[in-house]
Amino acid sequence: MFNTSLPLLRRSPVLIIAAKEIKDSFRNRWISFISLIFIILSFSVTFAGSAITGTLAFPELNNLITSLSTIAVFIIPLAAILLSYDAFVGEDESGTLLLLLSYPLTRSQIILGKLIGHGSVMLLSSSIAFGGTGVLLVLLGEDYGAIETMLVFTQFILSSFLLALTFILIGYLVSLRATEKARAVGSLLFVWFLFVLLYDLLLLAVLVADLSFMNQTVINLLIALNPTDLYRAVNIMAIGAQGGLSLFSETSWALEGLYCSMFVWICVLMVIANHLFRRKPL
Amino acid sequence: MENNAVCVNEVTHHFGDFTALKQMSFAVKQGQTMALLGHNGAGKSTLIKIILGLIKPDIGEVSLMGGANEGSSSMSSQGVPVRLGYLPENVSFYDKLTGEEILHYFAALKGVSKAKVATLIEEFGLDYAKDRQLKTYSKGMKQRLGFAQAILSEPDILLLDEPTVGLDPHASQFLYSKIAALKQTGCAVIVCTHELSLIEPHIDTAMIVAKGERLALGSLAQLRALSGLKIQLKCEGLADLAEKEPLLSRLYRHDALYFDREQQDQVVRCLTSQYGKFGFSIMEPGLAEIYRHFMAESESSHQALALTPSLNAQSKTSLKARLFSPFFGMKNV
Ligand SMILES: Nc1ncnc2c1ncn2[C@@H]1O[C@H](COP(=O)(O)OP(=O)(O)OP(=O)(O)O)[C@@H](O)[C@H]1O
Ligand SMILES: [Mg+2]
Repeated sequence: MFNTSLPLLRRSPVLIIAAKEIKDSFRNRWISFISLIFIILSFSVTFAGSAITGTLAFPELNNLITSLSTIAVFIIPLAAILLSYDAFVGEDESGTLLLLLSYPLTRSQIILGKLIGHGSVMLLSSSIAFGGTGVLLVLLGEDYGAIETMLVFTQFILSSFLLALTFILIGYLVSLRATEKARAVGSLLFVWFLFVLLYDLLLLAVLVADLSFMNQTVINLLIALNPTDLYRAVNIMAIGAQGGLSLFSETSWALEGLYCSMFVWICVLMVIANHLFRRKPL
Repeated sequence: MENNAVCVNEVTHHFGDFTALKQMSFAVKQGQTMALLGHNGAGKSTLIKIILGLIKPDIGEVSLMGGANEGSSSMSSQGVPVRLGYLPENVSFYDKLTGEEILHYFAALKGVSKAKVATLIEEFGLDYAKDRQLKTYSKGMKQRLGFAQAILSEPDILLLDEPTVGLDPHASQFLYSKIAALKQTGCAVIVCTHELSLIEPHIDTAMIVAKGERLALGSLAQLRALSGLKIQLKCEGLADLAEKEPLLSRLYRHDALYFDREQQDQVVRCLTSQYGKFGFSIMEPGLAEIYRHFMAESESSHQALALTPSLNAQSKTSLKARLFSPFFGMKNV
């Protein structure tokens, strides 16, 4: 049935690999686990106010997205890393990497297939959690316009997806270099800590110090050099918030520029991953 | 069927300073099986990976079906894609997927139909377990799955790295019968194994490798001749006969007669017509003895080299001296 109706799709090795990764994530309960975490996060941010006051009281849409993105910026990279860390070490340890490479496939096809698979898992989980929140808001709250709310949440899910892709690829880079799974996890947690916490602390310190060379260009550059900062900036920019972190309100970038930078991150990481895969000793 | 399916030419490969393979050359024809034998760390798996194009050798080249080796995308000399079948050593697949899902996955990647997968699962006796997750499989069941995976596409070249590890006698018999059927269709098979007696009846040629170097290559008969190992004959009352008959006494050792193939007629005639002995057993040296012989030979030559470095150096210089400077050589003598 599937075979005859979609012969072309079924033949493409990229999609076969992607489908296998998705199936694997369902079996691992990764999809349910990540979705559940995202739902808890999203609902607690959205409905916590009502719990305190005892009546249904929802935050303003802008404030909601700001709070959501502040927490998502920690959780999404972590989930992406946990999904991708064993993509290559795992297959290397089980001997299937050798096997796949003896098949009529290119290395880029393997990377792309896995990226599509893992990306879909993240997209599905965040759509369920954040999309579900949006739908509930429209249904329960009176003050939310359906179209506007959905647009805001679509934008939020899209940027979350790009952030997830970036960290999935970072996971691949480490997975391609590592010789043991445990080491891959360790290194990735360090990378996560670096990007999500340390970088911003240093950036804020530099800003507070008010050094002479800190002009707008340097700040923009520093933001572009960290995908999590790009994500924060995208979300603040998209809702046009004034009261966010001063750091991001100072950026003079257009939203498209920020999205482009995230896209550049993904492309560069893909190229590096291909390069590392080609040089991986077997 | 007489074309070379795999042709390895003067392949040398290093891992850092370590020489894993040294000037390795051999060929396997279509429809032939070659056993690749050697101690642990001899370089067998490395050689298989080089044939597959997974590792690019430092020196030398490999050709598959007459065409250049481009790994999995190799083309034969006729411009047809080469179908490769490969079973890696210690493959353990994906724990969370079922046996059937795993075969479907690999079949899809090779463009093989689901019907073929169903037949293979049936043939390999995995029907009862096909819907169970792989983590519940025993080692031999995984190995069967791995072999089924290797022959999915009816390959032109089949490379098996220790395929019978963990297989019960029935399953390994089935594996070799499957290989025999594939050979009929012109498939060239290279099997790397340590189970010599198991593979002996199924091979056309064998190559013995030690420390990355080829020790011997040929059919069983050629290897026997090359090794100079004797045929063994056992029979009742041999000790008495050996005392009486000078021909036999020369060949008599440890309650048996040992002789070359050329002497066989003479010995047998002597036993039957002269002494009326018809109950005897003749044993030709098997693959295991041949293997042990070549390994011991290479061991002793290595030891000799290691033990007498100074002597060796001396003999080399004196040889050089004799070759290149007759006067110096004469003085030395
Ligand atoms: N990626 C690698 N890096 C460094 N050395 C390696 C690598 N792969 C193999 N070797 C070395 O090359 C030699 C040959 O290894 P190989 O796996 O080919 O042996 P083998 O003949 O298959 O042995 P076994 O019978 O144990 O499977 C070994 O000494 C091994 O340590
Ligand atoms: Mg090996």
